Amino acid sequence: MTAQLGPSVRIHRSWKTASMLVPGLLLITAAPTLADRIERRFKVEAHPVVTIHNPTGAVVIRAWTKSEVMVVAKRATDRVEVDAEQNANRVEISTRQILDNASPQDLRADFEISVPEDTELQIHNDSGGVSVSNVLGDMNVETIGANVALEDAAGYLTVKTVDGGFQCSRCAGRIEASSISGNFRFADTRSYHVRAQTSEGNIFFSGEFFPNGIYQLKNYSGVIEVRFSPGDSFDISATSLKGKVNNEAKLTPSSHHHSFRGVGNALFGSMNTGRAKVELSSFNGTINILKRD
Amino acid sequence: MSATNCNEFLNQLEQWMEGERSADARAHLRTCADCRHIVEDLDSIHETARVIGATETAPSEQLWASLCVQLEHEGLIHTQQRHWTQAVAEWFEGVFSVVPRPALAGAYLVALVGIGLALAVPGYRRFNWGGNSTRLSARLNRAELDTIAMVESDPAVTASLEKNLAIVDNYIALCEKSVQEDPESEIARDYLYDAYQQKADLLAQMSERGAGQ
Repeated sequence: MTAQLGPSVRIHRSWKTASMLVPGLLLITAAPTLADRIERRFKVEAHPVVTIHNPTGAVVIRAWTKSEVMVVAKRATDRVEVDAEQNANRVEISTRQILDNASPQDLRADFEISVPEDTELQIHNDSGGVSVSNVLGDMNVETIGANVALEDAAGYLTVKTVDGGFQCSRCAGRIEASSISGNFRFADTRSYHVRAQTSEGNIFFSGEFFPNGIYQLKNYSGVIEVRFSPGDSFDISATSLKGKVNNEAKLTPSSHHHSFRGVGNALFGSMNTGRAKVELSSFNGTINILKRD
Repeated sequence: MSATNCNEFLNQLEQWMEGERSADARAHLRTCADCRHIVEDLDSIHETARVIGATETAPSEQLWASLCVQLEHEGLIHTQQRHWTQAVAEWFEGVFSVVPRPALAGAYLVALVGIGLALAVPGYRRFNWGGNSTRLSARLNRAELDTIAMVESDPAVTASLEKNLAIVDNYIALCEKSVQEDPESEIARDYLYDAYQQKADLLAQMSERGAGQ
């Protein structure tokens, strides 16, 4: 099934309603700059896939209990079109420029999307922002400058930004994040596998260290901060080639590590029985291993 | 024991990948795990390129032309006194010639870094790859010039990409300096190849945007 949200099929346009209330001349002048609202619903089965390609604008996604995907889009102008298609259990949402001479702001479209909680998401958003809450399916998010905020997510989460920040609160499953200058913040993490790499950004991690879990945090410069509780059990290696390593954990020497030639400041050891594996690495940044408040 | 040594085998690598496999080369591959790993890596990249070719859409002539110019500038079509890595790069060109061209932008750069990463594996170091990072860096720099010329997206996005490209370039320069100061430092080399990988990824993103205009 294909549904293009062109002028003929749009369900709702707030500016159209407004046009009946204001003088026509004023409408003609104002119409190109007024946002309009588009709403579409798609019935889906279990584990649907939703893809969103929106270069400019905010993307907010929330899980709900209905077996349908609801897309609400607000276009900045009529120079940008919103398309939504359903193919079997896949919903594809995208924006495209339809008139020339449009500024980036003319092409902005903001989305609020409701999806079943087992939805798989694929999101491309250059600038604007991505926020996802309570979605438990796999997720792939790619942005340039847009910040990414995930809450109560699970599944296999991959996030890639250029300079957008990434915040993951109460995330479970497997997390892989990379950026060049974005900051990462993992709060109340419940993941068994976290792999995060940013060149110039800071990385903050606070959460549970699961038995056999792997937690790899790496940057070039900036601060890597890991918060632990006294009962946590992990094997840790923390290395900063040209920076500092500050540690508050009581570690016992680990038999699993050997010294590397060329290592500047390094710390290897086990906390309690060393059940999780924590690898922290920086080129010239600071690594802080601190007690959780 | 095979009559072919590693360097001789690597010099025949392009022919090997094209299916011309001498008995000596086969014998060498049976006994040499390092060369076998290289061949396996190249087979894997070949397969990936084939899959990309099956899924990608129409090519960008501009992008292809840019990459051709880049390959010509690098002298990859010259046959005299070639380093084996150049022969492999030629082989890549052959592989990617059957791949739709937009896929080539990212795939070529990622494959280029893939070779570099493969060469960074400790087992490959005896192949005298010392100059390889310099060649890799130079190729990425040429790709950067071509790519920046292509990008015409949202000015804020372009500015962000260029700012981060400068960050990665600075990161590469500092890592190269560290590697020069201590060539045996595994960590410095690891960071250097991470930086190359980031640059390749970033250029691929930029060229995709340029090609998509």
